[in-house]
Amino acid sequence: MTKMTAQSSNSKQASYAAQRKLTNTVIYIILSVMVVIWIFPIFWLVIQSLRGEEGISTSYFFPKQWTLDNYVRLFVEYDENGVALPMDEMTYPYGQWILNTFIVAIVSCVISTLIILMVSYTFSRLRFKSRKTFLNLGLILGMFPGFMSMAATYNIMEIFGLKQSLVGLMIVYSAGAGLGYQVSKGFFDTIPRSLDEAAKIDGATRNQIFWQIILPLSKPIIVYTALTTFIGPWGDYIFVSYFMKANQSNFTVALGLYSMLDPEHITEYFTTFCAGAVLIAIPITILFIIMQRYYVAGVTGGAVKG
Amino acid sequence: MDYLDYVQMTTGQKIGYKISSFFGGIIPAIGTLFRIIGAFFKSLFSLIGNGFKGYGYRFANGDAGTKLSYIIMGAGSLMHRQVGKGLLFLAAEVAYFMFMANFGMTYLTKIYSTNVTMSDYPNMIFNGVIGSEAPIKEKDMLTGVPKIVNVDTVDDSNRILLFFILTVLVSIAFFAIYITNTKSAYASYEVLKEGKKPIGTIDELKMFLDERFHVTLLAIPVVLLLLFTVLPILFTICIAFTNYDIDHQPPGNLYWWVGFANFADVFYSNPMKSETFGKILVWTLVWAVFATFTNYIFGIILALLINKKEIKFKGFWRTMFVITAAVPQFVTLLIMRLLLGETTGLNVLWGTSYPFLTDANWARVTVIVVNMWVGIPYTMLISSGLLMNIPEDLYESARIDGANAFQQFTKITFPYIFFVTTPYLITTFVGNINNFNVIFFLTGGGPSPASYYKAGQTDLLVTWLYKLTVNTSDFNLAAVIGIFVFVICACGSLITFNMSKASKNEEEFS
Amino acid sequence: MVTKTKRALALILTGMMAATALAGCGQTSPNVTPSASTPAASGSTSTSDGESQQGASDVAVTDIEDAGTIETLKSAMADEASANGGTIKLEVWCSSDDGKFEKTLVKSFKEKYNDSRYKFDISVKTSYGEDKAGSKIMESPKDGADVFNFADDQLSTLVQGKAIAEIGQLFQGNVKANNTEDSVAVCSIDGTAYAFPKTSDNGYFMYYDKRVFKTEEDVAELDKMIETANAAGKNVFISLGNGWYNAGFYFAAGCTISYDSATKKQTASFNTPEGLNAAKAMCHVSQKVGSGFMGSAGQSGENATVQQGFSDGTMAAAVIGTWMGPAIKKAIGEENVGAAKLPTALIGDQQVQLHSFGGYKIVGVNAFTKFPIAAQTLAYYLTNADSQKARYAERGLIPTNKAAVESDEIKNDPALKAINDQKPYAHAQGQSVSSKFWSANVGGFGGDIVTAKGNMSDADLQKGLQDLVTQIESE
Repeated sequence: MTKMTAQSSNSKQASYAAQRKLTNTVIYIILSVMVVIWIFPIFWLVIQSLRGEEGISTSYFFPKQWTLDNYVRLFVEYDENGVALPMDEMTYPYGQWILNTFIVAIVSCVISTLIILMVSYTFSRLRFKSRKTFLNLGLILGMFPGFMSMAATYNIMEIFGLKQSLVGLMIVYSAGAGLGYQVSKGFFDTIPRSLDEAAKIDGATRNQIFWQIILPLSKPIIVYTALTTFIGPWGDYIFVSYFMKANQSNFTVALGLYSMLDPEHITEYFTTFCAGAVLIAIPITILFIIMQRYYVAGVTGGAVKG
Repeated sequence: MDYLDYVQMTTGQKIGYKISSFFGGIIPAIGTLFRIIGAFFKSLFSLIGNGFKGYGYRFANGDAGTKLSYIIMGAGSLMHRQVGKGLLFLAAEVAYFMFMANFGMTYLTKIYSTNVTMSDYPNMIFNGVIGSEAPIKEKDMLTGVPKIVNVDTVDDSNRILLFFILTVLVSIAFFAIYITNTKSAYASYEVLKEGKKPIGTIDELKMFLDERFHVTLLAIPVVLLLLFTVLPILFTICIAFTNYDIDHQPPGNLYWWVGFANFADVFYSNPMKSETFGKILVWTLVWAVFATFTNYIFGIILALLINKKEIKFKGFWRTMFVITAAVPQFVTLLIMRLLLGETTGLNVLWGTSYPFLTDANWARVTVIVVNMWVGIPYTMLISSGLLMNIPEDLYESARIDGANAFQQFTKITFPYIFFVTTPYLITTFVGNINNFNVIFFLTGGGPSPASYYKAGQTDLLVTWLYKLTVNTSDFNLAAVIGIFVFVICACGSLITFNMSKASKNEEEFS
Repeated sequence: MVTKTKRALALILTGMMAATALAGCGQTSPNVTPSASTPAASGSTSTSDGESQQGASDVAVTDIEDAGTIETLKSAMADEASANGGTIKLEVWCSSDDGKFEKTLVKSFKEKYNDSRYKFDISVKTSYGEDKAGSKIMESPKDGADVFNFADDQLSTLVQGKAIAEIGQLFQGNVKANNTEDSVAVCSIDGTAYAFPKTSDNGYFMYYDKRVFKTEEDVAELDKMIETANAAGKNVFISLGNGWYNAGFYFAAGCTISYDSATKKQTASFNTPEGLNAAKAMCHVSQKVGSGFMGSAGQSGENATVQQGFSDGTMAAAVIGTWMGPAIKKAIGEENVGAAKLPTALIGDQQVQLHSFGGYKIVGVNAFTKFPIAAQTLAYYLTNADSQKARYAERGLIPTNKAAVESDEIKNDPALKAINDQKPYAHAQGQSVSSKFWSANVGGFGGDIVTAKGNMSDADLQKGLQDLVTQIESE
């Protein structure tokens, strides 16, 4: 391949072009195959959510009966007399779960974003005596596996009377936010300090500098932080499963959907599970696609410095 | 070594360099870990020391107000015309002593009770029980429901341990306030001595928006972290030194201190537990290496393919892969589990029964492959971003030198990306050690042979920890494993920390 | 008010006791006047010597359905309600399959014990079925349901953790008189009754497709069954990857499993020559995996696997319990469903009848409930004769109630016949296993055999069995 022989430039050009064409064709083929592999499970999920027949799997790919009932079943359930049940009497109150997750996500998103901005600004811009101690402490705390202290957190929440409650969940999701300052600290580090100096000369306090100068410049990082903290509760299963126990009406979507796969019910509810999964995947996917450039900037922002 | 030195090496040297710096980093990292922990305690003690420094001096040289503030907090401030501040200090002292009298003292005494008699553990020699009296129940004959007869004295080990730690934390905070109080009294005395007026409460509060703005900003996050992160972690660490398991579970039973017995169990003395631990540790590391590097290498290759100049519809290709990454992980993983189940999904579709997830070796390969499916889009996204950053003139000059595409990749692209993303790589490695989701949702840790203590062949340390907590109530073992995972992760993170220039810049910065 | 009802209850009890010989057994006279709010006082009728005297053995029968008793119970519930804001708030755990049915029972319970002095707020939660309820209660007893359905093998762990209440005196005699002897026995430990028996079918037998196995002889021998099924292109399913199902092989080979509640010691004699025989027998059938035998349910669980198998026609017979009866009937048609005891298998050198775990599903009351009387009344109501009959009609679950069992409809149930045929070979799980047995990887070892298609050396098996025993007997 590396040989450069004395061929006529014409034929070299031609063979080069042919080779390039071949390479590109191969790449297209590889990419297409990969896309098929990557999309297949998602596609299968969507197909299953539209299947009319019960059961976990079928020996044929496309359903024999197409239906939207699985989606309807997520929100409406009828009793034996054909009367729609109220949400709290449904076997799987999906609507309630969506609402729960949404409330938890919004509140913890607002609180966490504020906390993260406050902490990262402090460590990036302000100099004080015990700063190093705090940074080290943050580093050490961040290395404990998150759910190692799950049981203890539950006990604490019990003392506050917040066990198995949505408020408790919001607090737990937001309370740890103080450790997630690295990415936005990296961002604040890139804002020139001369801005602060100039403002200080004009007599602004640090409080004013934070709100009036730094924050307006930080839109990308605010969007990034808000989106990541908003998405968090939608995907968390571990903590919430320990925290909510059997309190089904306070389940979040992840926990609720997982409970549909309980061996006892999986055959009856598998297609409904798929419908539920598709419904939450759509908005999250859209959010993520919007967020991807911030995500890349956030992650590589730290990495590029390496 | 900077980037210029680095590019001049051959590929082999580069990889060798990276590998040696990674593994060479482990030992120093362990050292650094202890140094950092040491440094943390040093700074903590020096904070305390600083508090004491001049403690005696201030007392000797201060006026009556200053001296009085050593006993009655805020007295100095009150006498030095800082009424608001003085009252706050006084309130803090009153509050603390009320807290201790009504609440704290109980737990300080109950945390280590000796010579307790418990009907449930006859002939047991206790060596420090958490709590002194287990509930004694007698049934109500009408209902049969046991009633706690010693309801006023009954103890719950969990609660006692938790409140004990809380009391210690509150005491530390109070001590800091106390020292601040003596300092403040002395400082205002000195100001008065110079014939000036000490700063007023309003002005002092205003400082929290400027000179002391960091206190304002950090107050809420720190309190939240103390309550919901530090307190639970301290609690769990303590549990590692107790016998809190299914036979000693509050509220029905008490548990007690057993020293390092659990650590001994896990590391050497209990053959089954320590063998399980060893096997799971090895698999955790193997998994982390494979999961990290497969994603990394194939992710970069995918990014290169998509970003190749002549390839059209870049946006389309990228979006297709991003969709997989965007769907919440528990959904994609559960789907994969059902697709690959022995009696579900593909096996039904094909009429086969491949043990993708039920045979140990198959399952180990399957989780790594599925992890690639989950993770490659992420690496692709990130390295796409990086590829744009490679200076075009590097390629230009390479082309002039007659390098072909493959050479360009090995000489320019890969070294650049590898150099730049090493910290990311190690963060991912640590992340994979803690990668709960892929294992839990796909195999649940299974298959579980008899030789594994309450674990399975694809279990990672963290999933084992989870099972011990949730399924079998072996809280003490789970805590030991948690601490061990912490040590591993800390080493990994420290290597990153040391290798990344960012941290060095940060040092210079401060 | 409080004192009044307590006194009324106490009077019933006194009457009850007078009717039995127990009255003279050194019991403290229960007619002291307690107040419900102080716990010490409400233990009025219990003294240490009283506790040792009374057991599940000799208690009087009170007619709980008689109007006076119902009224007294209502008053007692009113007391509990008034101490908790006027509402009786109870949580019930049951399996999700039973959810709908249990909800209707709860509804009629509310009607029956309806009273103006209190409101009911009873929620039925289906997250934790009989299999998980015990361990979930143990995880955090105070957060557990007030009334929960569970399998009898979890009883010893619950009693050990002091998480389950004893059955009230008021109900004890009634429960004992109306339920079969065995079912009452599994609800007690060391002579103390802790739960209300609900169904007698928490064991397994075999459902088969009559179109494949035409006569009873066809289902007598496992090896032959596998051949027949294979010829028809179908499978025989025994979940060897699950410790509950594969225990039948160990028992058949002569192994024993026992639990000592006093020393908290679980034992299993799997590391014996008998254990090795059992393991070899599993290897023997596992060699037919893929050609007539299916030994692992994978992660979707036995129930889903059986339903799937019969629906898509790949399953000819399955070792499972009554709870899958309705689903199997739906899949292959009622007329094609057969039920029989387990077949014989080749263990050692001879055909041996496979044994099984047999058990009961029972209902317990949380020791930490705020409404002990209401909770016990509900637990009683969920398991009384009418409820058990209705449960059989609706869910096909075999009652423990004597009167219900005697009814013709139930007597002729093929599933019950199969259970009765299996009975001599069924081992009670209630007192012989604790959670330590289940959390050891007993199923995992069986699963290994299946995955290896039975190709395991004796040394491997021996080691596996030894590991199992170490794990089961670990502290």
